[in-house]
Amino acid sequence: MKICLRLLTLALLVAVPALLVAHPVRAESTLDTILKEKKLRVVIDVANPPFGVLDKSGQPDGSDVAVARQMAKDMGVELEFVQVPTAGRISALLAGRADVTIASISVTSDRAKAVMFCNPNGALSIVILGPQSVAIKTPADLVDKRIGITRGTLEEAAVPKMAPQGTKIVWFDEIAATIQALLSGQVDAVAMTSFAGKTMEDGNPDKKIETKLTVTTAFYGPIVRHGDFDLRQWINTWIFLNTQNGTLAAIYKKYTGLDLPPLPVF
Amino acid sequence: MNYVFQFNVVWDHLPELLNGALLTIQLSAAAMALGLCLAVLCAYGKSAGPKPVRWLATAYVELIRNTPFLVQIFIFYFSLPAIGLYLSANTAALLAMTVNLGAYASEIVRAGIEAVPHGQVEAGRALGLKRLQIFRSIVIFPALKTVYPALSSQFILLMLSSSVVSTISAVELTAITSSLQSTTFRPFEFYFVATGLYLAMSLGFRAVLSTTYWAVFQRRGVV
Repeated sequence: MKICLRLLTLALLVAVPALLVAHPVRAESTLDTILKEKKLRVVIDVANPPFGVLDKSGQPDGSDVAVARQMAKDMGVELEFVQVPTAGRISALLAGRADVTIASISVTSDRAKAVMFCNPNGALSIVILGPQSVAIKTPADLVDKRIGITRGTLEEAAVPKMAPQGTKIVWFDEIAATIQALLSGQVDAVAMTSFAGKTMEDGNPDKKIETKLTVTTAFYGPIVRHGDFDLRQWINTWIFLNTQNGTLAAIYKKYTGLDLPPLPVF
Repeated sequence: MNYVFQFNVVWDHLPELLNGALLTIQLSAAAMALGLCLAVLCAYGKSAGPKPVRWLATAYVELIRNTPFLVQIFIFYFSLPAIGLYLSANTAALLAMTVNLGAYASEIVRAGIEAVPHGQVEAGRALGLKRLQIFRSIVIFPALKTVYPALSSQFILLMLSSSVVSTISAVELTAITSSLQSTTFRPFEFYFVATGLYLAMSLGFRAVLSTTYWAVFQRRGVV
């Protein structure tokens, strides 16, 4: 009995300090979790042609969706889409509902305060479009015009900066509502990507919509939460590889009809 | 998840948020007043009007109560221009809210009218009062008093559902909040404060509605 107690004491004397000095377990990174659970959760916006749309059977489609599918395939994990309205692309990521947002988010320094950008995987222009009957030739012509823009987009950041005082800016939650406002005559012109503008023009030939001004040209890329460095590094590696092998250019060409411009890295 | 809350951004934009809350209050208060008038008219038409009026009132109530509020707003804002009627976002919002409340409240008011003892109406008739006189002097006030709690809840619900009008670019509290969160990227902070403002407005409206109850019904001794 005595020996038993002594042995127990000895065991405790050895074990307790060993437990105390044990290395703290490193917190699991988002990339670790994705690989462990074999599931990549991606925020997409399916109301933003040609980057994200719903096809005839209601399935997500578009260039962002194609990029996400290829990325998950190459990572060897299952893909889960988290569909959000345009204005929720960043907040859904911040709320932890997904691991990455691939929804043609243009690189801006303001957005970089909230999330981390990966290298760009595409480029877009923001333009102002309106019916032929509305005369807009220079930014000064925007005075007293009602311009529809969509919340949470690059145009929301860019248009108020270039529009002269007296421009009446009208905000909508989704690009679909912005387009509807132009088609029903509730606004004189709208600002959106040139691609979305083209889809609108082609879909409504009787409205005689034309591009009036180019506001800005920007690069867009996937975003991750602050601190998710290893996920960002994996995505950057993937973008590098798929720029080299032409996959990104093929996806861009398929959905926008344009050649992908050379993509800068940072 | 390590999210660092930064409420100082919200305080910087507080005047804009309060402006949004003001429009919410204005829209809701105006829609409450107009909607109640519409509801009383409809309830009167449904309980005492000639047959075509009854059908019309029933059709209106059923149409509005069985379609989504969002679709009703879209019709006022996006579809009316097709017939040449351009309403500003605020006007379209006010109209949609009034029409919506009118339908729901008219059923509540009708319940109150039916709860007035029939003997009182007969007494009025025996005194030689006309139908409208009976409605105005005998029926409507006790009817409204009976259903006042249900009406108040419907009013508060209307105020809360006014957040939907941000979709047609009316710049009320929800619209301002989503604009600010999308430009500052502080969604949680702004939605927390907006939630607090909505709660405060609900309690404020409740207080005003109870004061109104006391002033209109209790002080005047309506039974």
